[in-house]
Amino acid sequence: MGAVTYPNERVVEFIKRHMVPIQVLFDSQPLATNFNIQWTPTVITLDEEGKEHHRTIGFLSPEEFIPSLMLGVAKCHFDRERFSEAIAMIEETLKDYPKSDAAPEAVYMQGVALYKSTHSAEPLKEAYKRLQSEYPSSEWAKRAQPYRLL
Amino acid sequence: MEKTIKWEKDFDRVLTLARAEKKMVLLDFFNPL
Repeated sequence: MGAVTYPNERVVEFIKRHMVPIQVLFDSQPLATNFNIQWTPTVITLDEEGKEHHRTIGFLSPEEFIPSLMLGVAKCHFDRERFSEAIAMIEETLKDYPKSDAAPEAVYMQGVALYKSTHSAEPLKEAYKRLQSEYPSSEWAKRAQPYRLL
Repeated sequence: MEKTIKWEKDFDRVLTLARAEKKMVLLDFFNPL
């Protein structure tokens, strides 16, 4: 991460715009114990109260790392029922990184966030259709299968 | 534009900054070896 991903200009810009970054050794206490760190690199997205919402383990290229962070930010908003902010970040993720590994989960989250903000089941069905069409082999396409019945 | 990430080291300071700037926190655990 330190040699390839963190020096990347787009990564630097995204983090500067959306996040406060902290880097600590894998055995730094009490954080390593509090967050149950077993391997590196482990990158966690937290809200401003220090609560975890998203975690990745292992190397990610810049093209995968940025959408992963975007998904993390979206989850921070989603988990606190800030659905419009979550949806905005998800839409940006899918527009800028539609081929990333984070994209299928972003489609799923988009459907759920829209459902929770509108109470219409249609977004869930749309998420299912899009996952089947664009990401048919992803685990998120499987998770969305019950929505085909809506 | 900043060319490098300005990493913080103090967790409490990071949470204070995140609240003030209305941003999320990126917490990276690394191994220098």
